[in-house]
Amino acid sequence: MPGWLTGKPTISPMTPDLSINLGGLAMKNPVMVASGTFGYGQEYDRYFDISKLGAVCTKSLSLNVRAGNKPPRLVETPAGLLNAIGLQNVGIDAYLREKAPYLRKKGVTIVANIYGHAPDEYVELARRLEAEGAADAIEANLSCPNVHNAKLATGPSMVSQVPEQVAEYTTSIRSATKLPLFIKLTPNVVNICEPALAAQEGGANGVALINTLLGMAIDTETRRPKLANIVGGLSGPAIRPVAVKMVWDAARVLKIPIIGMGGICIAADAIEFLLAGASSVAVGSMSFRQPDASLRVVEGVEAYLRQHGIPTVSDLVGAIRV
Amino acid sequence: MPHIVNCEVLTHRELAPGQFRVALQGPAIASEAKAGQFGMIEVARGYYPFLRRPMCFERILADAFTVLYKLEGEGTRLLSAFLPGQMISVQGPLGNGFPIESNLTRHIIVAGGIGVATFPGLAEALIKVCDTAPEVVLAARTKDLLLCEQDFREMGCKVHLATDDGSAGEKAYASQVLERLSPAPGTRVYACGPMIMMRETSRVALEAGAECLVSLEAQMACGDGVCLGCVVESKHESEGERMIRVCCDGPVFDARMVDWEAHNFAYDP
Repeated sequence: MPGWLTGKPTISPMTPDLSINLGGLAMKNPVMVASGTFGYGQEYDRYFDISKLGAVCTKSLSLNVRAGNKPPRLVETPAGLLNAIGLQNVGIDAYLREKAPYLRKKGVTIVANIYGHAPDEYVELARRLEAEGAADAIEANLSCPNVHNAKLATGPSMVSQVPEQVAEYTTSIRSATKLPLFIKLTPNVVNICEPALAAQEGGANGVALINTLLGMAIDTETRRPKLANIVGGLSGPAIRPVAVKMVWDAARVLKIPIIGMGGICIAADAIEFLLAGASSVAVGSMSFRQPDASLRVVEGVEAYLRQHGIPTVSDLVGAIRV
Repeated sequence: MPHIVNCEVLTHRELAPGQFRVALQGPAIASEAKAGQFGMIEVARGYYPFLRRPMCFERILADAFTVLYKLEGEGTRLLSAFLPGQMISVQGPLGNGFPIESNLTRHIIVAGGIGVATFPGLAEALIKVCDTAPEVVLAARTKDLLLCEQDFREMGCKVHLATDDGSAGEKAYASQVLERLSPAPGTRVYACGPMIMMRETSRVALEAGAECLVSLEAQMACGDGVCLGCVVESKHESEGERMIRVCCDGPVFDARMVDWEAHNFAYDP
C-alpha cells in the first residue's frame, strides 16, 4: 500500500550509520544506559537483547560491598523521582567474579562506573577492571549526591563541585589506565563548563552530563522529609531541559565528547541531546518504567536518520540551528 | 519470567468508598502468576506519575487476574478512571509468591486494611493444595474498610473480624485476635498490612512457636531488583545482605528475617 494511504512516512532506502567512536570507545550506536538504572545488565537482559545497545554502564562499583542508605530511599515527584540509594553495590570482587563474565559472554560493550572515597581508590578500581578485561571504558562517578555531607549544605559535598579536585582525580585515574576514561559530573554547580574543562585538562576522554539534581520532598502531614537521607537526587523527564542546556553549555567549550543524559525517554529526547552537542546519550530512569526503553531509542534514532536522509548519526552532533 | 503486556480491563468496580477491584485480561501473566506475586501497572500515558505502580494479584484466573487497591494518590486516581475495554500495560509476574506447603497443621491469614489484597489468591491456593480452608483474621480501621469477607466465607474460610473502632467484629487489633486463636508449632501465619501491624502479628506468631510470613509493601521504581529503592533492613549482618529488596527478594519474607527494630515506622504511610 502506498504511504499516503497507510500514513507511514516514506522511508529512505539507505541504511544510516549509527556507529560512533566515543573518545576511543567504539560503539555500534550512540545509546547507552545510565549508571544505577540498569543494574549490572543481566537484570534487563530478560526483556531484550542488551548487546544491541551502544554500551551498558554498570551500577557504581566500589572497592568494598556497600549496603547504602537507610530506607525510605525513593520518592516519586512530578515527572520524575528522588532517590537516595547511597551507592549500594556488590563491590568490585563480586562484579569481576559474577557480573562481568555474563556481560562479556553476551558481547556487551561495558562502561564500568566506579566510585571511591579518594583518588587512590579510583586508581585501584580502574587498574583491576583493566587488568581483568572487565571493562571497555571507565566512567568515574565524581558526583553522587547521596554520600558524604550533601545534606549539610555547608560547602561542596561532591568532588565534581570543585574543578581543582576534578583535575586531580582525573589525572590520577588517567595515569592508572589506558581505557577510555569518562568523568560523570554533577549539575549542582554554578557553571558546568568549569568542572568539564578540568576533566578535559586532567586527561579525560569524555564527560557524562548530568548526574541527578539535588532535591527534597516533605510529607505535609507528618512534616518529615520523605527520604530518610532528607535529600536525594532528582531524575526523570523533569530534569531534561536542565540537562540539555548544560550539554549545550559544555559542548561549546570542550574538545572531548559528551555523553548526554537526564530524562531521556524516547528517541526525540535523545536527538535533542545530540543536537545540543552530545556525541552519545544514556537512557536513565525510563528503564525503570520500560526496561527496553533504550532499545526503542536506538530504533527511533535510526528511523529519524532515515526519515531525514541523514547518513551518519555523528552528523546530528551539535547540529542545533541557532 | 516477567512479561510486559497490554491487558484489557474486563471489569472495574468500587467495592467500598475508595476501594476498587479491577479485572485484567492478561494470559501471559496469568498463566505464570502465583499468589503473593505482583505486577507493575502503568497508570499514566504521560510522565505524571512517571513510574508504574506495584500491585499484588488478588486472584489468578486462567487468562486474567484481579487487583484490589485503595485510592491513595495520583496513580490510583488515574487507575480508577480506567473503563472496561480500555487497555493498560502491566509488567509481571514479579517477586516471589507464598510458599504453599501441605505438611502444616494450621494456616491463619491475618489481613490489615488493603493488605487483604494479596490473600484471596493465597486462600484459593491453600485450599487446592492442602484441601483445607485457612482461617482468616480480617482487620481494618472501620467497617467500611473491611474487604473480601464474603469472598473468604464462600471459600469456606472461618473469618474473624476486627476493627479499631468496633464498628464490625471485635474492637481489637489483628494481632490481638490472632493471640486468641492460639497459634502453635505447626501453624503458619500469613500477614499483610501496615508495618506496625505485621510486626505485632509476627511477634505473637513467633512467640507462640508458629511460623510467620509477611508480605511487605514499599515504594518501587522498577519492581525488578534494579533501582534498589524498595529495600528494608534485614537481620543479616554482612554489608552485602543487610538490605533486602521487597520486589525481588520478597515481597513475601520470613518475619524473622526482617529487622523490625531498625525499621523507622514514622515514615510509613
